[in-house]
Parts: sequence; structure tokens; C-alpha cells
Amino acid sequence: MIRSLVIVLLGLGWSQLLLYADPPAPSAKEPLDPEHAVKMARGLDVFKKHVRPVLVQRCLRCHGGEVTESEFDLTDRTHLLKGGLAGPAIVPGNSQASLLFHVVNHSKKPRMPHKEDKLPQEAIQHIALWIDLGAPFDKPLVEREEAVAWTKRVVPPEARQHWSLQPLRDVQPPKNVANHPWVRNPIDQFILDRLQQAGIEPNPLADRRRLIRQAYFGLLGLPPSPEDVEAFVNDPAPDAYERLLDRLLASQHYGERWARHWLDVARFAESHGFEHDYDRPTAYHYRDFVIQALNDDLPYDVFVRWQIAGDELAPNNKLALMATGFLAAGVHSTQITKNEVEKHRYDELDDMLATTGSAMLGLTLGCARCHDHKYDPIPQRDYYQMLSAFTTTVRSEIDLDLDPEGYRQARAKFDAEHAPYQAAVDAFVRDHLPSRLAAWETSSASAAYREGQVWVVLEPTDLKSEGGAKLTLRPDGSVFAEGNNAQFDTYSVTAKATLNEIRGFRLEVLADPKLPKGGPGRAGNGNFALSDLRVEVLSEISGNNESRPVVLTRPRASFEQKGLPVAHIVDGDAKSAWAVDPLFGKDNAAAVECGEPITDAIGKGIRFTLHFNNNTGHNLGRFRLAVTSAEYLDLRADSIPADVRRILLTASEQRNDAERQKLLAWYGDRDAELQRLRQAAAEHLKKAPKPKIVKALISTEGLPAVRLHTQGEDFFPETYFLRRGDPAQKEGVAPLGFLQVLTRTDKPEERWPVQPPPGSRTSFRRKALADWLTDVECGAGHLLARVIVNRLWQHHMGRGIVATVNDFGTRGDPPTHPELLDWLAAELIRNGWKLKPMHKLIMSSATYMQSTAHDPAKAARDPDNRLLWRRPMRRLEGEIIRDAMLALSGQMDTRLFGPGTLDPNSRRRSIYFTVKRSQLMPMMVVFDAPEALVSIGERPTTTIAPQALLLMNNPQVRNYAHGFARRLLATEQATWSEVVRQGYRAALGREPEAEEQQASEAFLQRQLESYLAEGKTQARHLAVTDFCQVLFCMNEFVYAD
Amino acid sequence: MPDRIPAFFAPPSPAYPSRRQFLARAGNGFGLIALASLLEQQGLLASGGYRNPLAPKPGHFPAKAKAVIWLFMNGGPSQVDTWDYKPELAKVDGKDLPGFDKHTGFFADQVGPLMKSPFKFERHGQSGTWVSELFPHMARHVDKMAFIYSCWTDSNNHSPALFKINTGMSRMGFPCLGSWVTYGLGTESQNLPAFVVMYDTLGRGIPKGHSQNWGAGFLPSIYQGTALKPQGQPIEDLVRPAEMSPVQQRAQLDLLNQLNRRHAEQNPAEADLAARIESFELAYRMQMAAPEALDVDREPQLVQRLYGLDNPKCSHFARQCLIARRLVERGVRFVQIYSGGMENQLSWDGHIDIKGNHSGFALETDQPIAGLLQDLETRGLLDSTLVIWGGEFGRLPVSQKGDKPGRDHNPHAFTVWLAGGGVKGGVQHGATDEIGFKAAVDRVSVHDLHATILHLLGLDHKRLTYRYSGRDFRLTDVHGNVVTSILA
Repeated sequence: MIRSLVIVLLGLGWSQLLLYADPPAPSAKEPLDPEHAVKMARGLDVFKKHVRPVLVQRCLRCHGGEVTESEFDLTDRTHLLKGGLAGPAIVPGNSQASLLFHVVNHSKKPRMPHKEDKLPQEAIQHIALWIDLGAPFDKPLVEREEAVAWTKRVVPPEARQHWSLQPLRDVQPPKNVANHPWVRNPIDQFILDRLQQAGIEPNPLADRRRLIRQAYFGLLGLPPSPEDVEAFVNDPAPDAYERLLDRLLASQHYGERWARHWLDVARFAESHGFEHDYDRPTAYHYRDFVIQALNDDLPYDVFVRWQIAGDELAPNNKLALMATGFLAAGVHSTQITKNEVEKHRYDELDDMLATTGSAMLGLTLGCARCHDHKYDPIPQRDYYQMLSAFTTTVRSEIDLDLDPEGYRQARAKFDAEHAPYQAAVDAFVRDHLPSRLAAWETSSASAAYREGQVWVVLEPTDLKSEGGAKLTLRPDGSVFAEGNNAQFDTYSVTAKATLNEIRGFRLEVLADPKLPKGGPGRAGNGNFALSDLRVEVLSEISGNNESRPVVLTRPRASFEQKGLPVAHIVDGDAKSAWAVDPLFGKDNAAAVECGEPITDAIGKGIRFTLHFNNNTGHNLGRFRLAVTSAEYLDLRADSIPADVRRILLTASEQRNDAERQKLLAWYGDRDAELQRLRQAAAEHLKKAPKPKIVKALISTEGLPAVRLHTQGEDFFPETYFLRRGDPAQKEGVAPLGFLQVLTRTDKPEERWPVQPPPGSRTSFRRKALADWLTDVECGAGHLLARVIVNRLWQHHMGRGIVATVNDFGTRGDPPTHPELLDWLAAELIRNGWKLKPMHKLIMSSATYMQSTAHDPAKAARDPDNRLLWRRPMRRLEGEIIRDAMLALSGQMDTRLFGPGTLDPNSRRRSIYFTVKRSQLMPMMVVFDAPEALVSIGERPTTTIAPQALLLMNNPQVRNYAHGFARRLLATEQATWSEVVRQGYRAALGREPEAEEQQASEAFLQRQLESYLAEGKTQARHLAVTDFCQVLFCMNEFVYAD
Repeated sequence: MPDRIPAFFAPPSPAYPSRRQFLARAGNGFGLIALASLLEQQGLLASGGYRNPLAPKPGHFPAKAKAVIWLFMNGGPSQVDTWDYKPELAKVDGKDLPGFDKHTGFFADQVGPLMKSPFKFERHGQSGTWVSELFPHMARHVDKMAFIYSCWTDSNNHSPALFKINTGMSRMGFPCLGSWVTYGLGTESQNLPAFVVMYDTLGRGIPKGHSQNWGAGFLPSIYQGTALKPQGQPIEDLVRPAEMSPVQQRAQLDLLNQLNRRHAEQNPAEADLAARIESFELAYRMQMAAPEALDVDREPQLVQRLYGLDNPKCSHFARQCLIARRLVERGVRFVQIYSGGMENQLSWDGHIDIKGNHSGFALETDQPIAGLLQDLETRGLLDSTLVIWGGEFGRLPVSQKGDKPGRDHNPHAFTVWLAGGGVKGGVQHGATDEIGFKAAVDRVSVHDLHATILHLLGLDHKRLTYRYSGRDFRLTDVHGNVVTSILA
């Protein structure tokens, strides 16, 4: 069957291959039939009466209605002619050549309608007739208005009836149980009321040892020290527990513990994901923002607003900028082909909106991307209008001053400390330098300078480049080349002789930051290649005068590139050269002797010619020439500029002020004492504080986007309504808008959207979104409050009042205690959105403080503990298990903030592990840490053998056990009894029971003997290490409640 | 008790030292351990408490295939140079393809003319299936294979296409086929991971998108694939600390057991505590069982030679194929082996020199795969093991220009074959156009392919759902039709 079809296809001939290449544009030129008008009229009649109903009923759903299978859309004639993947569907006027006819007639594959009954023969005949008549349409199968109706859809009032979309109700705690002795605060009234209705009594309070342990792990994620436990257990004050909570909430570790909960929700990671998973080394600032905001108790509404639009709301606040990392935390393809740029951009916008929806509002907004939300009253229209808020938002890296005030203070302090150093230098120059210069001038040391026995820097009067480079003289006597860099240039430099007898020349090749790789050459790598140096003596300095070449001998250089020695510059070979690879960005020099000294030189000119014939573009970038009357002078001998030497030769009383200053400055550089003072000042200056400028990844607009290997734009200027979520099916620009069901005003466009201030680089659309999200009067503020108090409840109580913490929609679980949820949300808003008072409120309730004891009778009435008659037992997260072991090992590094690490041996808390999507920390993943791809509100808790393997065999775990063992053995009386007792107190917060004590001591002794039998020197330590590791493995250790 | 982990992987290659960074993830998710049955046997489970998510479960309907071995030719093998014979392409060799969208592949500026296959094709088997000279060994098994010539996908770019074929979605973050299967069927193996992934051991990198290709997405992480690390310990934390003897570790576990049981007795309603006690015993046994399963040196010479372990050109892949058989034999549900490294010449991604590229990777895989099919058949395992061969997309019939021409990515057509459990051998489904550019007849989407694979395992792709974020998700989203013509 397939073979025969292939043959049929082959029979169509080579030209038909076009069918399978990308389809041509719809043909505009069909030959005009003389009967055209008549046929059209008949065709239309057939279409309306017979064809249209069949197409609409049997074909439209898959081909342009709900979906467009095989890219074939038959909603109108243009698309019908264009066809789909299998090529044009019809040839107007020829049904037998039309694919549409054959597939419905089942004379070709694929037989249509797909997997349904064949069309009635009569219908097939009508379709054939209609095609033969030219296949006219009176109007598309789907009306245009109908097609775009969804972009204007208004949700009906009843859609708002779902409980979570309603405003907060004004609820009061049930009064009937207000005086019950179990009740400690209003939360308990809500809980107890329901329990009593069900005939269940709640558990009594847990003992203080359990309470302090669950409070420590709950708020800080760390175990209490034995001293903390004993102090609390023995504290007789009635407010002991309250003071404990206050102390824990004030701890810096609180932010570290609770940030992890939010980072799960924010799908935070520090790499791009996709093919290369490149790092985002500056993304950690968002994590630091979350920690800092929690520790500062930043009001939750501000916390949310900054994450959406911190750059617009508080552009000068570093925390607000760092907060926008929320939007930037999603994945980003590092390799986007041209055909996928737009689709990927919509994916990226979807990530921002879907995460915002789940994290802030507990709504699955992402489900409305391709169609109206199937369950919740979220039309696709609302999705695109909200998506529009992020249209021009990109990831960008900015410089962030982490501590401007700290720098200002440190700098002022330093400047004060530095002042004496500079004062000493100034005083020395003022009070001592002139007399020291005078003394020097009279000493023999100065004679060499006067006599020209040092290098005397030339003052060129004429500079030429044959290759068209621009040569300029700098104040230090060096010549700088710029402009055209010829393939092989020749420079000539002419200067007046200032010494009467000249025996040698020096050419310094000098580094300069303006040159490639710092020079000294102009080649791409910073090199030059000097093929020849020629020197002539001119009878006069200018004019076409007589010149006499100087024979140059005895070349030497401070460095020679291998194979390119300095001898080449005087070897008469026009090609061979001297060069200095790899000493780029460094100064070097060459010197030559005159074969015969030049005598009576004063008044004559000297012309240097530098030839660069060796290598393309290898011309010098910066150089300086000097002469000397000394014989074979050291390359590194001191030098004096010609003008300074003239001053030196002038009698001191004849020098003017400027000359005096110039000489003094030159001499000062050579005065040992002054150098010492200057050196001291410079050394001190090196210790100057620097501003803490760091790169930070943020989300914003109008700044360059972080670009990877994309073949297209970073963003598109408009967001469109996309039919079925397909960028190829745009239905007009989507203006900024919000969820209708969470809008309680007739004029939302007047309440939230604003014009950006003049000159703003951002659109302020995100500000409008942030305003709507946190608006408790007309916007989403009430739901926002419900969702966050539910998250607090979830982490304290093991399950949210709404168990589906990221889904408050109709498919989510209904609240077990709706009145309590509303009361807590209202309480949060009343408290100015501060979270710490909410923690304290929840943790002060008897509901939180009750024991975990199980009771079959109560369980029979409420097996899932939905009414909270007991506190559930929960396993700690991987991060916290590790942090607890690390704390017990005595090795924890408690520094806050800063770049993370992937080193499993890090001693910092687990929150500071870099979250690299392709390289998640095994210890976290094995204990159910999320993959940071989508918002996760609740981690699963699995019990699997790899967790056991990790605790038994992982080198880091073993290392923590070693550290713990060292601490237990450090005490004076580290008897087995004491080791066991102290181990229990530190790890579990209690004394061992007799049986535990006995079993553990026996174990220690057995292990000791076993290690001793093996001849291990550390046998005692190893035995205790084994015991510590057993403590880490205990259920009681990882179940902190 | 075996102390050593068999050195079955190649030594680290100095050419790709940075590869290690990709691997830290590997070895997680070794979670696929059936606790429940053991717990139930030992009466440790409180009634209605702990439910093991990995317990073996029946499918929606009876099926032959119990396990899957997916031979993944990473980088996108060329259909017209392997299985999809196109004589017409030879006739138009050197001509331009009119109307061709130069953005179809990855390199829009290197589009060349149509190019015939550099390989000869011949008919093989009772079915007379055309096979390229690349695969002399596999050609002997064509009557076991069902070919789908008309596969197509969404993306012309590796990682979205890899995500698509593995998870059904071209975006990151969705559960892969192996995870869905493990979620749907649990695992038969008592002390091995249920879903094992192996990738290149010659230091050529890990497939683009890394562990996301075998990630569990929003499914619980216990369903993610366990990637065997190509060097060092293949599985994380499988070897006890060096300073400790088995006796000393056993004593530790005995004390732990005693202390934990006291705690569990005080909290009798907490099923998780019992499960956790048992997990340590299981872990202790796994320390022995996993190395044994991975130790191909235990296989007779004859079997090793059948796979080509004695041939240095293919021994690395042969080893992995043989491991796959040993795993499936021991009840592992899903094994995926990637041939080739990350991209370009390190994988089947023949942008340059399609002839040299495909010849090399065919040599690496042909004999091992043929050996695997033969071995499975001999042991009677082929009936219950579904073997899949394919890549993430196909390649273009036009050349990619260069000294030695290659072929660029082609999302419009690629070939997949299936063999074994429940598959009708010697069958051919669908066809591309005359030049092998686009799937033209009986087109099979990735969703269709997934639906078919699930069907072969007894799972209805429409009923295999997981509630996440308010929605019941499926591997096949809202699509998918089973390709019934290849069913036995």
C-alpha cells in the first residue's frame, strides 16, 4: 500500500516535489473561465446548501476550528488553496486533481475524516461538484468576529462565586469555646470549635523539650544547643516560651531557613537550563534579597511588589532591584534558532506570569495560555492581557553598590588616616628637597648628567611616517603612532644634537594601554618587528642638507624574541628584525654604538630611520630615543630629558621659577629619602577601601539583555492575543489588563495602569501589575493575603488550611478551616503585612504546641487529622538535615549572603549552595528538593533507600560525624557513658533512656575493640564517629517534631 | 560481599575534563526501590499507612512488554542514510530544492543542494526491508523490527527536540517517558533502580539538556532516571566509608535498628518510620546487588563477543547494551542508552561529513545492538522487552556546505524502529516524500509514538494522568494516536 502510494507520488514528476517543500504563497492567478460568473453563482449555491454544513460538521474541528492538523486550515478559500503539509488541497475547477476530493473519497491517504465514518456519497459528490465549479466561499466557515470574540470575553458575575475569589469575610473567632482551658489564642477557638463539633478533644501541649526543638527547627532550621534546651526547660517565667519565639525570630538564621521555602515557590536557580545550562553567577542576589527581606520583616505586600517591579518602584534601593531576580529566575534557552525566537519569548513570558500566578495568588494562570481555563474563571483573554505586563522585560546585569553608606564611612576614615603620609611628602619637598638638590649639584654624582654620560632623551623636531601613520610627540619625549597602520611602515625622526660627542643611541619600546594588548607594537598581539635602524648625521637640522650615515655596532637589547634578535636591526638584511613576543604591555629597550664617535655634533641634526619590513602591521606604537656620550652605556642607565639637562647646565641663580620647579621635580624622583616617603604613602593607599560594587542579575526594561546564542530578538515590542497559544495566529495586540474575577472596579484601566514618567526607560506596566496584586480594595490583595498565610500555616502545621498551596482554584482542595484562613489573612493585613507577628501568633497557639501523640479513637473520627487534634510528625528537608549535622559537627560557617558554591565540602548552610539546574546537590535531591523549573509549593516526602545510602556512606556525612565525635571526645570525662549522654543531648535534645544508654555503650565498646583488633590508631575516635553517624540516621533526628 | 565496583566504564578522557560538572546529578533518583512488598511481608506496615509508590502495578490492560530498552541515537541520525531508502534523491543529486526554507535547519547560511546518500542500500530479511550498508549486523534482524518512516517533531534544535521526544513537550520541566512508565507500572526489581540511563563513556559529553532528558518533572523525584556515572562509582554513595569494615557497618545498622524500633513503637501510627527502618536494610543489600548487576565481566566470553566487547571500536556501547540486558533480566523497568556525546561530531549530529560521521557511529552501535537483539531472543526476553531505536529528529536531504558535506537538522522527518514485546516484526509504517524531506504518509507525531509505546506496555495514554497545578497531565498532552499497524 505504501509502496504503491510512493509510486503514485513519483508519478507526479519532479515538479511536484514542490508540494513537499514549503508551500508557495496562494496563487493569485487562476485562469479566468468564460463561464466564471455562472459557475461561481452555482458553486456558491452548492457551497451554502451542501458543502458548508459538511465541512463545518465533519472537518472544521481538526482543520482550523479547535486545532489545525497537518497545518491544514479550511476555514476560508485562501487557506484551502494554500493547503497543509501535503500541499494544496484543491485545484479549482478540477476535483479529480484535488487532494481534498481524494482523501474524502478514500481514493488517497490519509483517508478523511480521520478514524471516523466516511462522508455520505452524496456529500462527496457535492464537494467534487463544488470544486469543479471553482470552490467559491460566500464567507469563511468561522466568522472573523467569532474568531476574535475570545479576546473580548467578559466573565459573568457568577464566575466570582468560588470561595477564594471572594473578598475576605469579616469573621470572629467562635465565642462558645473562648473560655476552654486548652485555648491559648483565637486560632485555637477556630480549631477547637470544629474539633468539638466532631466530638474530638485535641492533644495536650507537648513538653518543653519537644517545643524548643520544633521551634528551633521550624524557625531556624537548626538544633537547639543542650544549654538552650536546659535553660528553656528550667525557665520558670510565664513568658519563657514567648521570649524564646522573640529570640528565634530575631535570629539571622530565621531568614536563611524561611528563604528556602520561598525559593521553592519562586523556582529559583542560578543557571539558564536547557542545552548548556550556563551559570548565572550574579543571580544569588535574589536569594540574598529574600533572606534579608525576611530578617528585616519587610511587609509582605512590599516583598511582592518589589519582586514584580522593584526597579520601577524603588530604583535606588538595592534590595528592590535584587528582588526583581524573581522574574529572572526561570529557565532560558541558550540556543534559540531563528524559527523559534518568538515562540520561546512567549514561553519566557509564560514562565514569568505562571510563576507569579502560582506563587503570589495560588492560581494556575498558565492553564489559560491556549484556551480559556478549563476549570477556573480565567479566560484566555485575561492571560494575554496580564502577559502584556512583561512584554519588554528582560534579564539584565547591573552594577550594584551593596553598601554605599559603609563605603562612605570607611573612605572618610581612611582619608583621615592617609593624610599624614601625604603631609610628610609635601613637607619634605617644601623643607628639605631644595637643599638636597643643591648639595647634589655640587657632588660628583651630578657630573655624569651634565657631561652626557647618561642617556639624554632627544627632543625630535620632525616626525614622519611613510605609511601614513600619525606620529605625535608626548611630553615625556616618547613618540606615539596612531591612525593608519601600514603593512610595512618606515618612520623617520629628526632631532637636534644636544651633546657634542655622541657614542651611542638607545631606542626604548614602550607599553601603552591604547595599543593592542598594551603594545609596544601595533600588531594585533601587541608586537612590533623592527627590521632596520638607520642613523644619519645632518649638517644642519633642517633643509635639504648633506647627510652622513653613521655605522652602528654592538647592538644589545633588554629582551629578544626567539629567532628575532636585536642584531637584525643593523645586519643590513631588510627583512630580518627584532621583536619582543611575548613581553606585551611591557617596556623594553635596545642600544647601539657608533662605529666612530660623532664629534662636534652641537648644531647638527640627527635623523633616525626605523624600518618595519618583517611582518604585516608590525610597526611600533610607542618609542623614545636617547643619545649618550658614554661608551657602551648600560641599557638601564639613568636618563635625563634634554630640557632638564639644559636647566642643570644653567647656573642656579640664572634659572627662573619654572625651571627651578622642573629640575626639582626631576631630581625628586631620584632622591632616596623622598622615594621612601612616597613609597610609604603609596603602600598605604593600596589599602584604601573600595566600594562594594557587584554585578547583579535583575529584571528590567531598557537595559541590554543577557544574551546567549539566540538568533533573534530578546523581546518583541508588543504582546498579542494568540489563538491556541500559537504565535503564528495573532489576534491583535493585547493591552495591559488583569484578572477580571479579581477586579472590583468598573474602571480598572483608570485605577492601575499609569503613564511612565518622562524619560523613563521602563514601561511601568509591571508597576501596574504590582499595584493590582496588592490592592486590597479593588484588586487581588485579599487572595494574596490568603495565599501567604496559608503558606505560613503549611510550614508550621505540616499541611495548609488549603492543602493545595499553589492552587486556590476550583480544582484545588477547599480550605479545611475557611473562617480561620480569612481571619488570619485579615490579621496579616491589619498588622501591616508583617510576617513575624503571624509566625508568633501561629506558634503561640495550642494547636501548634500540642503533642504529636496518636490516638486510635480520635483517628477513627478524623483519620487524616484534618481537624488538627494532633501535631503531625514531619521529616526535615534535605537542607535542614545537612545543616543540623553540620551544626553538630562544630564546623558550621555562619556567614550570611554572597556567592554560592557547588563544593559539597562547603561548611556554609545549605541555602548557600549554588542551584545549578543540571547539577543539583545530590544530598538535597535525594530528600525531595525540587528541580527549580516551576513553582513548587509543597515538597513530597519520600522514603527511599538512596537516602539511607547517603547517610551511611556519603563522605560529607561521615565527615560531619567525625566533627561531632571530636566535640564529644573533647570533654575531660569522655567516658562511654558521657559520650552517649552528651550525644543524645546535642542531637536529640534529651537524655538517653536506660536501654538506649546501655545499647549505645555496648556498641561503642564493640566498635572500639573491633577497630583495635584491626590495629587502627584512632580506634576510640572511630567508634564514637560510628555512634554519631547512628544518631544522624535515627528517625528521631530527622523527624524534629 | 563484593567490595569493588566493577570498572566497566572507560577511563576519563583528558580531552573533556569539564564533563565532571555535568555529572553530579547523575546517580540521584536511585530511588526506585520497592519497599512496600518487603514491608508488608515483614508486617511492618500499619494498616493503610505507608504506600510504596514504586510497588509493581498492573497496567490498564494486559500487554507483552514488561520492560523497555531505548537505544537513543543522540544528535539526530539521518533517515535517508540509514533506513529510509530514497532512490529518487540520487536522481536529483546536486540540484537545488525549490522553495526550501533556509531556516529549516540550524545553519541558514550553509544550505547546499540536494545530496544523495553516500551509502548503498540493499534489501534484507523476509520482509525485504531496505537497509543502508551502515548496519550489516542489524540488517540481519529487520524481521524483528517495525519501522516507522513518518515520524516528525516540532523543533529544529537539539535540546527542545530532545525534551520533546523524551517528555512530549519541547519546554523544560516535564516528566519523561521513563518516568511516566515507572509511575504507571512501578518496578519489579527489589534492589535496583527502576529506570536507568547510560550515556557516552568516551568523554564526549552528555546529551544537551542534561538530566532534564530523564527528569521526573512534576512527578515525584523517585521516578526520575538514575544515570550511571561513566567514571568512578556508577551510583552515588554505594560504597561504605573506607575506614570501616562490613562488620562495623553492620553493627552500626544493628544499633540503629534497635534505637529506631523503640522510637517507632512509641509512634505506632507513623508508617513512614517503619518504611525508613526498612530502607536502611534495603540500602545495605543494594550495596551488593547493584555492583553485581553492573558487572558484565561475569558474562561468558561468547556473550561478550556477541555484543562486540572484544572490538575496541564498539566495546563501550557493547558494554552498555549488555548491562541493559542484565538490568532488564533483574526486573529493571526502563533503560535508556545514549549513543554519542553532546553535539556535532561528538554525536550523530553530522553537520560536517555525514559519511564519516555516520560511518563512525554506526560502527560503534551496529554490532552491540544486533547482539542485544540476538541475546534477548535467545534468552526468551525479547517477547517481554520493547527495544526502541531512534534520535530526536532527522536530517535534511539537502547538504550542509563544506569540504566534506554534512546534513543539517530536519524536524519534518525521521525514522524510528521498535522491536520485541508486542511489536509486529518486519512491518513498515508511513512514508516520507520522494526525497525523504517530510513525513508525508501516515504521519506519526511524537505523541503518537509515545501513545504507542505506552500501549505496548499495557498503558492507555489517555488514562495515565498525574494531577499537578490543578490539571491532570498526560505524557501525550491532549494528543496521541496509537500506531496500530505495528502491533503484533
